[in-house]
Amino acid sequence: MKKLIALLLAATMVFSMAACSSGETAKDDTQDTSNTGDTTGTGETTGGEDWEIVVVPKDSSNPWFVRMNVGVEEYAEETGVNCYQKGTDQIDATLQAQLVQDLIAQDVDAICVVPVDIQSLDPILKEAKDAGIVVITHEGADLQNVDYDIEAFSNAGYGQFIMDNLAAAMGEEGVYTTMVASLTNGSHNEWADAAVEYQKTAYPNMTLLEAQPRVESNDNGDTAYNVAKELFKTYPELKGIMGTSSFDAPGVARAIQELGLRDKAFTTGTGMPADNAALLKDGVIKSLTLWDPAEAGKAMVSLALKVLNGEEVAAPLNLGIEGYDAMTFREGSTTVLEGQGWITIDAENVDSFGF
Amino acid sequence: MQKSIKKIFGRTEFYVFALLVVLSVLIQFRSGGQFYTANNLVDIASALIVPGIFAVGTFMVIVSGGFDVSFPALASLSVYATTKFMLNIDYSGGILLPLLMVIAIGALLGAFNGFFVGYLNLNAMIVTLGASSVFKGIMQGALNSKQLAVIPEGMRAFGTSALFTATNSQSGLTSRMPMAFLVFVAVVILAWFLLNRTYFGRGIYALGGNPASAKAAGFNVKRTKFIMFILVGMISAVAGFIRVCMMQQCHPTNMLGMEMNIIAGVVLGGAAITGGAGTLLGCILGTLLIVMVENSMILLGVPTTWKSVFVGALIVIGTGVSALQVLRANRSASRARTMTKEGAK
Amino acid sequence: MAQALLKATDIQKSFAGVQALKNVSLEIMPGEIHCLAGENGCGKSTLIKIISGVYQRDGGTLEFDGKTMDKFTPIDAITNGIQVIYQDFSVFPNLTVMENLAFNTELAAKRRIVSKKRMRQIAEEAVAKINFQVDLDALVGTLSVAEKQMVAISRALMFNAKLIIMDEPTTALTKKEVQALFDIILKLKEQGIAILFVSHKLDEVFEISERFTIFRSGELVVTGSTKDLDDKKFTFYMTGREFNDKTFVAENLTEQPILETRNLTLDGHFQDISLKLYGGEILGITGLLDSGRTELALSLFGIRPATGGAILRNGQEISIKTPQDAMKQKIGLVPEDRLSEGLFLPQSIADNIIIAEIEQLKTPMGIFDRKKRQEEVDHWVKEMALATPDANNASSTLSGGNQQRIVLAKWLACHPEVLILSGPTVGVDIGSKHDIHAILQQLARKTGMGIIIISDDLPEVLENCSRVLILKDGRIVHEAPTQEIDEKTIVSYMM
Repeated sequence: MKKLIALLLAATMVFSMAACSSGETAKDDTQDTSNTGDTTGTGETTGGEDWEIVVVPKDSSNPWFVRMNVGVEEYAEETGVNCYQKGTDQIDATLQAQLVQDLIAQDVDAICVVPVDIQSLDPILKEAKDAGIVVITHEGADLQNVDYDIEAFSNAGYGQFIMDNLAAAMGEEGVYTTMVASLTNGSHNEWADAAVEYQKTAYPNMTLLEAQPRVESNDNGDTAYNVAKELFKTYPELKGIMGTSSFDAPGVARAIQELGLRDKAFTTGTGMPADNAALLKDGVIKSLTLWDPAEAGKAMVSLALKVLNGEEVAAPLNLGIEGYDAMTFREGSTTVLEGQGWITIDAENVDSFGF
Repeated sequence: MQKSIKKIFGRTEFYVFALLVVLSVLIQFRSGGQFYTANNLVDIASALIVPGIFAVGTFMVIVSGGFDVSFPALASLSVYATTKFMLNIDYSGGILLPLLMVIAIGALLGAFNGFFVGYLNLNAMIVTLGASSVFKGIMQGALNSKQLAVIPEGMRAFGTSALFTATNSQSGLTSRMPMAFLVFVAVVILAWFLLNRTYFGRGIYALGGNPASAKAAGFNVKRTKFIMFILVGMISAVAGFIRVCMMQQCHPTNMLGMEMNIIAGVVLGGAAITGGAGTLLGCILGTLLIVMVENSMILLGVPTTWKSVFVGALIVIGTGVSALQVLRANRSASRARTMTKEGAK
Repeated sequence: MAQALLKATDIQKSFAGVQALKNVSLEIMPGEIHCLAGENGCGKSTLIKIISGVYQRDGGTLEFDGKTMDKFTPIDAITNGIQVIYQDFSVFPNLTVMENLAFNTELAAKRRIVSKKRMRQIAEEAVAKINFQVDLDALVGTLSVAEKQMVAISRALMFNAKLIIMDEPTTALTKKEVQALFDIILKLKEQGIAILFVSHKLDEVFEISERFTIFRSGELVVTGSTKDLDDKKFTFYMTGREFNDKTFVAENLTEQPILETRNLTLDGHFQDISLKLYGGEILGITGLLDSGRTELALSLFGIRPATGGAILRNGQEISIKTPQDAMKQKIGLVPEDRLSEGLFLPQSIADNIIIAEIEQLKTPMGIFDRKKRQEEVDHWVKEMALATPDANNASSTLSGGNQQRIVLAKWLACHPEVLILSGPTVGVDIGSKHDIHAILQQLARKTGMGIIIISDDLPEVLENCSRVLILKDGRIVHEAPTQEIDEKTIVSYMM
C-alpha cells in the first residue's frame, strides 16, 4: 500500500515538474520579449501578395503574443500581404516544433518564429531552410539555421533609453542608483552599466549613489519595495532609482508612496502596462519602458518579405516600422539585427496595449 | 531567584535576544541613528508579518519532529487560486470571503501533507518536498498561472489599510503599520494557546520528544499529525494571502524559496531540529533576527555584493551555536549514562 | 490457594510464519513478585506485548483479575490495571516531570485544555505514592536514569495498577539505584500489586522474586519457586547448556612483564599506579565507579593519555598518546560502552570485524583486498560462534552478547599482545557471558596474550583472573592472587 502511494507520489512529482518547467518558460517570455517603436508603421514593401508568411509565437493565448497577432493582422490589412499568426495552445517546445514541421509540409514561403527552446528548434529550422523556406526569428540570437534574427534593441541602447526616462522624471539632476534582479543577471547589468556611462555625459547634473551603486531585487516586488525603503531611509539625498527587471519599478513605487516621497523621489524601468496601470495613473511612476510585440511581429514579416523579394539586407536596414527603421547588425554577427524598438509607457497610452 | 536567572541565561531565546540588541545598536550606530526611529521600527514590524506567520507554522512542524518545505508553494497555490477566482467572478466585497476561501484551500492542501505524513507515516521532509512540486505543478499547469497585476479591491484595501502611520520627525519619511500586523499577533496568540494550553499542542511536543511514548500515553499520533498539517496549511495560506494583499498583486512564484530563511529563523530561535524542543517566543525572535538582518544591510552599509555572505554567515553562526548547545547537552547526558552504566549489574 | 491474578494458558504467537511463542503459560498471583527470565529472543517481550494488548495472540487463553481478555487494546489493558514499564521508560525527555506524569490521566479523561493546576495535583499525588522527591518542573531529559524510572513507575501507579510489568528495569542502574528500586518493588507488593520482573540477571532473580518462569526459544522451560533455584540450574534453564566453568589458572607465564606501569598518573583520576602484566595471565582490576578504573584503561590505550609516570612494554619505555600509539604497540581495548565506542551499529558485522585491521587487508598495490577480507570475516564469524545468518547484516541486528563478540573479534583480528577489556560482559546474556569467558581464558593460555579485565562483577573477576588489583580513590589499595581472596574481602578493600 505504502509502496503504491509512494509510486503515485513520484509520478505526480514528475508530472508537476514537467508542468513547472513549461510554466517557467511562460514567465520568461512575458519578461524579456523585445519591442518595436510606435503603433504606426506601415510596410513600404509591396508586390508580395503571392507569398505566404506565417508567424509562430511561443503560444497563442499569452497576452504578449495576442498583442503580436494584432501587429501581424494590421500589417496584413495595410499591405495586403498574406501573413498570419499561428500558435500552439500552450507553451511547449515539442508542440512548437511539430507546428513548424507542419508548416514545412504545407510549403509556406517564410516562417517567422519566436522560439520556445533554441536547441530543439534549431534542427527543425534547418529542415525549413533546406526546403527553401525563409526563416526569420525574434529573440533567438543563438539560433544557427536562420536567415535573420530580429532583436528589438541592443542592451546598451535600451539602458540609455531607461536613463532618458529617469532623467526626465528627476528633472535631469540629483542622486540616483540602479536596481537589478541580481548582480549576476547578464542583460540587466548591461542595461544598467550602459545607463550609468551614458548619464555621465548626457546628464552631468545627476550623480550615482557611490555607497550603493547597484542593489538587488531578486525579481521580487516585495524585495524591491523593502530595499527601496531602506535606501531612502539611509540616503535622504537619494532622488531616483533606475529599475531593470519588471519587478523593480513597481516595488520601488510602492515604497515611494508609503514613505510619502511622491514627487520627491522617482523611479522607472521595464514594466508591463496592465500590471502598472494603476501606478502610472496615480502618477507615482511617470513612465515605464518596454518594447511592443506588435511592432516586433510586423518587423519579422517585413524582413521576411524583403528576403523573399530578393532585396538586399544591409545595415542600416529600414523595415519601415518605427524603431526598426535603422537596424544594425550585432557586433560580430551577420544574422542578428538590432533595432531601437523601445517604447515609453505612460498614463496616456497604458490602456492601449491589451496586455 | 538565582535559579531562575540561571535558567534565563541558559536559554537560546536569551542569546537571540542579546544578538538582536547588539545588532540593532550596531545598525543604529552605522546608519547615523536611523534604526531606532519610529518609521524604521514600523518597517521592520511590517516586514516581519509574512515571515512571522510562516514561521509559526514551520515551528509547529519542527516541534513535532518533522520538516515542512512545502509551505511557500502551498501558500502560493492557495492565494493564487483564491485571487484568480475572485477576479473571475468580479468580486467586489470585503476581505472576509477571500480570507475564508484561502484558509479552506490551505486546509485542504495541508490535509494532503497530513494524510501522507500522519496516516501513512511517511517522512515529512520527503512528503512536503513532493507536495511542493505537486502544488507548483497544479498552479502552473492546471491554473496556467501568471502574475495577477490587479487584485480584488477588498484585498487591496485590506493590504494598504494602516493601524497607524509612523513619521520620522527628522526626515519626514512615513511608514504604515499594516492592519495585517493584527493578524500576525492573532496567529501568534492562537498558536501559543494551542501549543501550550491544549492537549493537542502538548501532543505535538510529545510527538517530537518520543513518538512511541506519545502513542503509549494515549495521544492519537496519526490524527495529531494530520490536524497539525491542516493547521499549518491554514496558517501558511493566511501568510500568503497577507503578502498578496500587501503587495497589491499576486505573483505565483515569488514566495517560492522563502522556506530556507524561515526554517533557519525557527532553528535560530532554539527549536531543536530533532523535534520536541523550542518555544514560540524563540521562533519569533529568530525570525525577527533574520528579517532584521535582511532589511538592514543597506542601513549597515554592507555592499550588495556582500549581502548574501552576511546573511548566510549569520544563519550558519546562529544555528551553529544552537546546534553546539544541543551537542553539549547530549554529551553531558551521555556522560551521565556511562557513569550510571558503569555501576550497573 | 488464592485465585491467580493473571492466567495465561497455551499462548501462541507467530510472526511471518515464525513461531515466537509455542504454547507458553504464565500464572501470577496477586501481590506476587514474579521473575520472567530467558535469553534474548526467547519470547519474553512477545508475551509482555500480548499481555499488555500491543499484540493479539494467535491462540490460547488469557484471564486477568477473573476476566477473560479477548481482543483488547493497550488502553483496555491499562484500564484493567496492567501497566508496562519498558526499558526506555516511554518518557518525554523534552517535557517536564509534571507533564510526563499527568498526560495519561488527562488524556484518558479526554481533556482538551491544559490546566497546570490540575496537572500539578495529579503529579504530586503520583510521586507521593512511592515517596519520590523530584522537581516537578524539571525536564525529564535532565534526570538520571533511576529518576526517569521513578517517573515511569509513579506514572504506572496512577491507574490502580494491579500488575506492573518491568522490562529489564535494572539494565542502566547503579547498584545503589537497584537497591532503591527493589525497596520500591517491595513496597508495591505490600500494597497488593503484583510485579512481573523481566530480567536475565541471576542475582536479581534470587534477590527479589518469589517465583520465576524461564523461557527458551519461545517455549516454557520451567516455572517454580525461586527457593528451589540455584546458579547452575538457572544457567542450564536459560541456555540449555551445561557449563563447566573453571577458575582460570595461568600457565606458561612469560618471565618478563609484557606491560608495566610505573607511578602512572592521570591528574584527578588516578595516581602512582604501578602494575605488571605478564604474558599468559589475566589480571583483574576492580574498584568502585569513581576509583579510576575506567580512566586507567583509557590511559593505557591512549584515549586519555596519562599525565605522569611511565608505561613499559617488554621492558622498554614507550609513549602512548593516542590509540594509534597503543595499537602500534599491539595493545587493544574493548571499551565499556560497546554501543557508543566499540561498534558501528549500522555497519555490517563484517566491516566491524575488519575495521581495525583494514591496513593489513590491502594488496601490494594498495588496493583493498576483497578476498582476504572475506577470509578474515569467515574466520572470525566461526571462531566467535557469531549467531548470524549473514555477516553482511547490520551489527545492530545482533544481541548484546553477539555484539560484544564482534568487538572482541575486531581486536583479535589485529593480533594484540595486550588486551584490555572494560566491563566485558555488561548487558550480555548469560550464555554469551560464559562463551566470552571461555574465549578469554583460552586466549591467555594458548597464545600467551596478556589480558586485563576491568570489572566490578566480582564473580567474573574471581573466576577468570589469576591476580586482582583493587583500586580505591585512584590508588591501588590491595593486590592478591584470586585463590587467596574472596568477594567479601575485595568489597571491604573497595569501600
